[in-house]
Amino acid sequence: MKVVVIGGGWAGCAAALEAKKCGADVLLIERTDMLLGLGNVGGIMRNNGRYTAAQEMIELGGGDLFELADKCARHKNVEFPGHKHATLYDVIKMEPTVRRYLLEKNINIMFEARVVDVELDKNSIKGIYLYDGTFIEGDVFVETTGSTGPMGNCLRYGKGCSMCILRCPSYGPRISISKRAGVEDILGMRGDDSYGAMSGSCKLNKESLSDEIREKLERDGVYIVEVPKEDVNLEKLNMKVCQQYALKEFAENIVLLDTGHAKLMTSYYPLEKLRKIKGFENVRFEDPYSGGKANSIRYLSMAPRDNSMKVTGVDNLFVGGEKSGLFVGHTEAIVTGTLAGYNAVRWGLGLKTTTLPASLSVGDIISFENSMKENIEGLKKRYTFAGASYFERMKELNLYTTDDNIIEKRVKNLFIDGIFKERLL
Amino acid sequence: MFKYIDCIDAGSPYCPCELALKGECIICSQLHGKEFCDCLNWKGTCIYQEFIWNGYKSKKIREFKKFKIVKREYLREDILKLDIKVNKELSRDLNDIGAFVFLKNEKDAEAFSTPISILSSDIETDIITVVIKREGIKSKAIFECQDEILVKGPYFNGIQGQKYLKELKNNSCLILSRGVASAPTVLAAKKLKINKNEVYVLLDRGRSRENFSKPYFLSLGCIVEDVSFLNIDGEIKYEYKKEIEQLIKKWNFKTVLSAGSDDFHEKVINFIYKIDKYINFATVNNSTMCCGEGICGSCIIKGSNNEKIRSCKQQYNPKEVFLRGIN
Repeated sequence: MKVVVIGGGWAGCAAALEAKKCGADVLLIERTDMLLGLGNVGGIMRNNGRYTAAQEMIELGGGDLFELADKCARHKNVEFPGHKHATLYDVIKMEPTVRRYLLEKNINIMFEARVVDVELDKNSIKGIYLYDGTFIEGDVFVETTGSTGPMGNCLRYGKGCSMCILRCPSYGPRISISKRAGVEDILGMRGDDSYGAMSGSCKLNKESLSDEIREKLERDGVYIVEVPKEDVNLEKLNMKVCQQYALKEFAENIVLLDTGHAKLMTSYYPLEKLRKIKGFENVRFEDPYSGGKANSIRYLSMAPRDNSMKVTGVDNLFVGGEKSGLFVGHTEAIVTGTLAGYNAVRWGLGLKTTTLPASLSVGDIISFENSMKENIEGLKKRYTFAGASYFERMKELNLYTTDDNIIEKRVKNLFIDGIFKERLL
Repeated sequence: MFKYIDCIDAGSPYCPCELALKGECIICSQLHGKEFCDCLNWKGTCIYQEFIWNGYKSKKIREFKKFKIVKREYLREDILKLDIKVNKELSRDLNDIGAFVFLKNEKDAEAFSTPISILSSDIETDIITVVIKREGIKSKAIFECQDEILVKGPYFNGIQGQKYLKELKNNSCLILSRGVASAPTVLAAKKLKINKNEVYVLLDRGRSRENFSKPYFLSLGCIVEDVSFLNIDGEIKYEYKKEIEQLIKKWNFKTVLSAGSDDFHEKVINFIYKIDKYINFATVNNSTMCCGEGICGSCIIKGSNNEKIRSCKQQYNPKEVFLRGIN
């Protein structure tokens, strides 16, 4: 059975890996020359409820990528405003590590291959077309193409192309495969009723910061400095994807995290203003290159799905990551991607697809997000274990814990420990 | 079937054009009445971005400029070859597959402007060569030009299925050519030879003793064979069907370039498709054109799904247009 995964970000890597672990023949197709997509500029794991989610996935047998991220950590147990026990992985080491891991597992990966269309047989996808007309057949498909960009969207709903890691001009724009299969996209909204949301952080070149800041950043993993009063811009928080970082503290302070580059926890920051701050006199952006002006726009292309991650309206298409909902973050992408890959194989074998129980945070977030998307207010929210309303829900439902033993017991009591490790064929 | 759509002007200095301004862009969904990105082809630039940064306006439309005719030569009483000295930029632009210009006598009204393919463009002397057959009012008016002529260009959509010619490298291509339609195939053959392809030309001499383009093909190193394709009923003669089949077996052509009327394209494509359905086709663009900018509508043809194709700008897969009975 052949599973074709379209999009090699965290969700796609997780889906491909899980489908392979289940025993399927897997092809992962990536538009650019690198895996991980936005994971190449992220780096924050295990903060707040993400710790619980990561441990749940490990107990479920789907922890490979979390363990790789732990291995690539630059800092563990980092605290910054509103966030506890974060792990910061090294964005420079992460991609090659994951790439090698997937290749060792004999997953076929096509790079610089953009999928542009599908061939349908009634409600089933027979195969997909690459940009050059190459036709690739498969039994079941997983779409993890994300919801970010391309340029025209970043321009209409943001402040233009900021030259981010997605590199649309070089590799061509993301295409909504579910839409090509006849399913209308769902769009995330902002407070002001417009569509999409802006990526919430950028990367500064660490060498362009003062020695003092760089040393502190490398020692502690975090560096915080006050924003000059006249430059505080609370407005910017409203357009941010990452509602868990849309706290007042992030507008009033510059928060830097050491993820290899210096991760600046704001959507964009005019260079002129940034350079007024002590130690930032020579600073320059690393990603997006035009982070002084803009950032990428996200959540413009989500597919309707059920809680097994199957797209509603197409028989053999599953989704993960941002394509599957208003999820923020690597952890959320890995969780949804893994379930999509797992159920893709089950579906391919004619087995009933499965959902994760709501008594685990990883199951609850998937069903909660799906129910919230049904109304406009829900479309204005983002869902992450790391903060905002969903982390509050985790605490209310007593799902949040950092006690590994409790998590182990919870999963075992459900008799689903190790399910993501089992070979299905 | 893979839908091959391209706008020949997309990403060029002439993009975004008037179509984009009026919400009719061939490629960009945002400039075609939609609110989100879903572009049909990607050539490295975002047309919507170009449009916004150009102040919500289209780029300047191509205009007629006056150039000198340096040589007039009658190849037959009704076929005229013109050498026109143009400027550096134009000669450079026109040295490409599918290049054509609009020509017009200065004294005539705009409606006389007629599209003419480029046979060759010398980028050292800046002389372009065109061949015109006297057919109707517009070509007759060109025949009256003596020393000077108005030229508007560059335009690039003189050959459809250009992708299948441009992607050929170290390969082989068959050209089936009739009459003045062979003019644009000379330039195509030049580019094919640069990419180290073998080019085999079956060249119909028509009513002439030999086709005017033969010496050009020979000088490029193509293999040329004089033929007379059609029988009295207008069908491809059995002997040439047999020969084409043998050539395909021998040379394993990846692309066939058909240069004749649309009727000829249809015959060629349907015949060859039955021999090998994986062969790609390129065809000389015979559409009637008045403006070349997708506006006047005279070039609109219908695709296999009955969709409108503005064939002066839009590239299509010739199979989709000329192949009958498949989808």
